[in-house]
Amino acid sequence: MRIRNLAVAALGVAALCGASGCRKHARTAKVDPLLAAYDSEADWNDSTKMIPLGYQQAQGKRVFYQYCVWCHADSTPAGPSNRSNLTPVPALLDDGATLNAESDEYLGNIITLGGSALGKSAMMPPYGRTLSPEEIRSVIAFTRAIAQPPYQPPGRPGSQYSAR
Amino acid sequence: MFCTTCHSLAVTRAGETKLIGGDIGPELTKVGSKVNTDWLIAWLRDPEAYLPHTRMTRYGWSDEDLYKVSQYITTKLVDSDLLSDVPKLDPPADEEIQLGRGLFIEKGCASCHTIEGVNPQKDFGPDLSALGGKNASELEFGAAKIPHNLVSYIQAKLEDPVSVNPAARMPRYSWNQPDLDAVTTALLSMKGAPPTSAFENLLVPRKPSSFRATGSFAEVYERYKCYACHRFNGYGGDLAPDLTYEGSRAERQWLVEFLKSPQTLRPTLILRMPQLNMSDKDAATLADYLALVMQHPAVNPASKDAKEFTPAMATLGKQLYEVKYQCQSCHTIGSSGGYVGPNLSNAGGWLTPAWIEAWLRNPQALIPDSIEPRRNFTDEEILALTAYLVTLRAGIKPQKTAVNIGALASEQGAGR
Repeated sequence: MRIRNLAVAALGVAALCGASGCRKHARTAKVDPLLAAYDSEADWNDSTKMIPLGYQQAQGKRVFYQYCVWCHADSTPAGPSNRSNLTPVPALLDDGATLNAESDEYLGNIITLGGSALGKSAMMPPYGRTLSPEEIRSVIAFTRAIAQPPYQPPGRPGSQYSAR
Repeated sequence: MFCTTCHSLAVTRAGETKLIGGDIGPELTKVGSKVNTDWLIAWLRDPEAYLPHTRMTRYGWSDEDLYKVSQYITTKLVDSDLLSDVPKLDPPADEEIQLGRGLFIEKGCASCHTIEGVNPQKDFGPDLSALGGKNASELEFGAAKIPHNLVSYIQAKLEDPVSVNPAARMPRYSWNQPDLDAVTTALLSMKGAPPTSAFENLLVPRKPSSFRATGSFAEVYERYKCYACHRFNGYGGDLAPDLTYEGSRAERQWLVEFLKSPQTLRPTLILRMPQLNMSDKDAATLADYLALVMQHPAVNPASKDAKEFTPAMATLGKQLYEVKYQCQSCHTIGSSGGYVGPNLSNAGGWLTPAWIEAWLRNPQALIPDSIEPRRNFTDEEILALTAYLVTLRAGIKPQKTAVNIGALASEQGAGR
């Protein structure tokens, strides 16, 4: 009797499952970083490689393509770039060999205050009164994201108390 | 003629076909096989006579120009394999005509196209104003193998209406992904009557456009369809510069010359203002209205006179321009400089001193999305730079229409 009851119950469960289409949960697939990203940017030297961007980097991309792209890239949304017109020639934004060596503070200062304030060319105008500090930080985050060779954030300086 | 500002052509380069040109008007790659020459000439002479609500502007072309343009379109822009695999038809029987007429109404053709005597069905498509608020349970997914949620439903329906409902009469559109996403977003936003709650008080109401063109200006403005590309106080297109403050920005005389012969200030632009062959009277009417009415509340062009600037100020301004601030990295004067900002060779003839001064103080106060950086100039520097820019003047050379047609034709011919 007891066994029969159990069998009926099991049948009932099976029928319910069949009706509502319940199914073992599919194994969670590995999340594609591009799907999880806010935005992406094609590697400037290899358009098949997409770089996923986080929130701040995606904001930086937006600012970059409105304000900076005209002189800091070789092709622009409008077509030709102003970069070849300028002497000294501005750095490409993905030029890691040049920009990775500079600190975030330095890049922030040169965008905020312009080239002339830091002894560089006055052709780089100051954007401190046009862009907000958050926008400037986001552009730097975007720069770091697309740098080639890739940017390695500096490690924390060793504590003076740590054992040598 | 800059037809490409609004119309596109398919161009094949290096095995890759893409559309080149604007998207305000229809693509014209094979239009020569579609239109007949008499209709085309009548259309180009006065588009409104055929389609009263068209956005196509009216060109003041001579008969000779009209002939050349229509010849170019009907001989060059043709379909090379037209009618190659279309079966020959017998002359139509009466019942076939009746069947076609029935299908024309039933399948919804009549909902968009007008034929005299054929009345479209009422409420042909369903009301979509509350689609964005629907539950998945209210939707019919049919046999479609898609996730049962609203976004998938809308996208599947837009991409292939028959996939979710075999009886759908909606036409199948070939969307590209950005358009598909944009339409989906718009449909999702339509959630029916808004809920009445305190939430409404948090929303900033959108400023309705109060712009109504008036007087003789309205007639000329309507004829040339200025609003198809330009925006006036919140009304109009966004292809070309917003003209809301044009009266504060540009000198009236410059406006007249520009309207009669548009010379682009930004040489890298591909989409440009067409040559409209305006009469002196039309150009004067438009320029007068723009100069008097379309003014910025804080920039009165009469408040500054070019005469108050001394040569010494202009000399200082030139130094600031070229050495301290290096404006030439983005602006061209004469033959050298960058092309991010507009060409300033004729800044004195083009811009009012009051506008230059206000612009140097704070560009974003006048045009909020301008990319010109706001600088920390002193008052003295602003006056000096204004004095220098006001001295810059250059003549405007008239365009030769016939030469341009030839150049355009040969260029497009080579491109195809």
